[in-house]
Amino acid sequence: MAADKQTLLDYYRKMVLIRRFEETMEEHAKKGYIPGFLHLGIGQEAAQVGTMATFAPGDYVLPDHRSHGVCLMVGTPTREVMAEIFGKKTGTNGGRGGSMHVADFKRGNVGNNAIQGSTMATACGLALAAQVKKTKAVTFNFIGDGTVGRGEFHESLNLAGIWKLPIVYVLVNNGYAISTRATDAHPLADLAKMGCAYNVPGITVDGNDVEAVHAAAKEATDRARRGEGATIIELKTYRWQGHFSGDPASYRPEEEVKTWKEKCPIRRLRDTLLQRKLADMAALKAIENDVEREIQDALKFSIDSPAPTIEDALTFVYVGREVTGK
Amino acid sequence: MRTLNFKEALNEALHQEMTSDSRVIVLGEDVARMGGDFGVTMGLLDKFGRDRVRDTPLSEAAIIGAANGAAFCGLRPVAEIMFADFITECYDQLVNNSAKARYMFNGQVMAPIVVRTSSGAGFRAAYHHSQNIEAWFLNIPGLTIVAPSTPHDAKGLLIGAIRDDNPVIFLEHKMLYGTTGEVPEEPYALPIGVAEVKRPGTDVTIVASMKQLHYALAAAERLASEEEISCEVIDLRTLKPFDKATILSSVKKTGRVVLVNEAPKTGSINAEIAAVIMEEAFRDLSAPVERVNSLDVPVGFAPVLEDYVIPGPADITMAVRKVIDY
Repeated sequence: MAADKQTLLDYYRKMVLIRRFEETMEEHAKKGYIPGFLHLGIGQEAAQVGTMATFAPGDYVLPDHRSHGVCLMVGTPTREVMAEIFGKKTGTNGGRGGSMHVADFKRGNVGNNAIQGSTMATACGLALAAQVKKTKAVTFNFIGDGTVGRGEFHESLNLAGIWKLPIVYVLVNNGYAISTRATDAHPLADLAKMGCAYNVPGITVDGNDVEAVHAAAKEATDRARRGEGATIIELKTYRWQGHFSGDPASYRPEEEVKTWKEKCPIRRLRDTLLQRKLADMAALKAIENDVEREIQDALKFSIDSPAPTIEDALTFVYVGREVTGK
Repeated sequence: MRTLNFKEALNEALHQEMTSDSRVIVLGEDVARMGGDFGVTMGLLDKFGRDRVRDTPLSEAAIIGAANGAAFCGLRPVAEIMFADFITECYDQLVNNSAKARYMFNGQVMAPIVVRTSSGAGFRAAYHHSQNIEAWFLNIPGLTIVAPSTPHDAKGLLIGAIRDDNPVIFLEHKMLYGTTGEVPEEPYALPIGVAEVKRPGTDVTIVASMKQLHYALAAAERLASEEEISCEVIDLRTLKPFDKATILSSVKKTGRVVLVNEAPKTGSINAEIAAVIMEEAFRDLSAPVERVNSLDVPVGFAPVLEDYVIPGPADITMAVRKVIDY
């Protein structure tokens, strides 16, 4: 069943928000505003938006390595996510997390971990807690194709299989782990099939089709909420940028990048909206302008916010035990 | 007072904490049906059920990751890693997740997990079932390492560790499981980070822990009766953070120090304690600090290999004579 007008317009706004967020981050990384590494998710917006549309209050999400978009989908104000990436005290983690560790526990974002596969073990515990506490919470665990090589991928799926853990594994297959092709790193073209060994069903979906992504995510989420266990949804997509901002990605054929850019998930949704006569160009432009205001507000907030202080370096090492400074 | 062995004391601590606090869960390999490879978790499955007492596959990373995730959700997981040597399989989870979660997420979350593990040599169990692993974790801010040497302390420190809000690695020297001592029946928590003077003395300070503590006491007894040397023996009880104040006040009195630890000498906790004594009590010293450790070789299989490498009472006696004769 096709999604209704309001839902599709909502997806459109969110996907444009993520796109503009990432573009703004890249621009300001180049200008020197952003410390450290920056992994962008341009091109992967449908995978993030379509999945997170099934996220409900009380659920948990563990974002992946290019996950700013996911962090924006739990209700955290855009300015707090952006300020975090800028390393500012007003960010979600007070500026001590950065691009790779944006977390907002009260809204269910349990944070990314910069070591691939690590969150899969954490996800087992979030899901286990839901079982022990008898809540209906579902854990959304975003991972990439590269993660399939990690031991934790297999240990965690095995545990999810035997304990029927309420987890939705969102395997965003963008074809590359830095320069290594997924097809060179793994023996299956469709990585969702990896779940077979662990009795965790998997489905492979066009990750640039937000409606298809949402349909698969909804089925997986419903399954988890009914207590029937975990599912892998593999979303085939592509990252337009290199691995990190500044990586020229010369390991990819130009023709391949061009082909995927033509499959832009946002353009695709725009075409759908126009073809189905659910919106006209003026309506879409109004959404884009609204997003732009949000981005510019967040940008000003991020630039103007203070950095953490050196006192902050000594807090939260232990609960109830002091550490000494210089 | 009633007498229990070390294993029974630990088992009683788990029963009492699981009874009084429904947030406490236990997971690990063979902890449920079997009651633990050394019997420490005996009877928990029958009393508390499968939700709270879980056998896992051979998946140390998933065990610790799941413990972290459950702790993020407010539970108090006690995970068992059957042998400390296997902790390499979950080193990433402990070092990069448990230890850092609170800091990198700006205090939004705690990881109050306890990782119980059997460590130490003497079982003729060779390379992968005999190691002392505390030094692998001393360098990781955020972690706490507890190491009892008596049944009384085993119970009180395990309860203290479960109630502590930080991730705690709880070392159980496997040669101590059968040792007996007086243990109060009621639950009691001993403080983390507090050493105990087990035997007061005036000539030499001996700092030890776990099984070596008993060797130190035996050496002190012999030196007192045969050579009229008065040793003050300190049981560290917590290795990280160790109790500087108790050590330094003893050093001030005796001026002579022997540090005893079963791990290989290079980079062991003895090196760190010696450095602190140099920094803070150099002028109190009448002799250089003496270290008693394992040799810097693996723990071999044939008894003659193990016995040569692991320190015993004679090594401690010799070290004491050396600091006296200096």
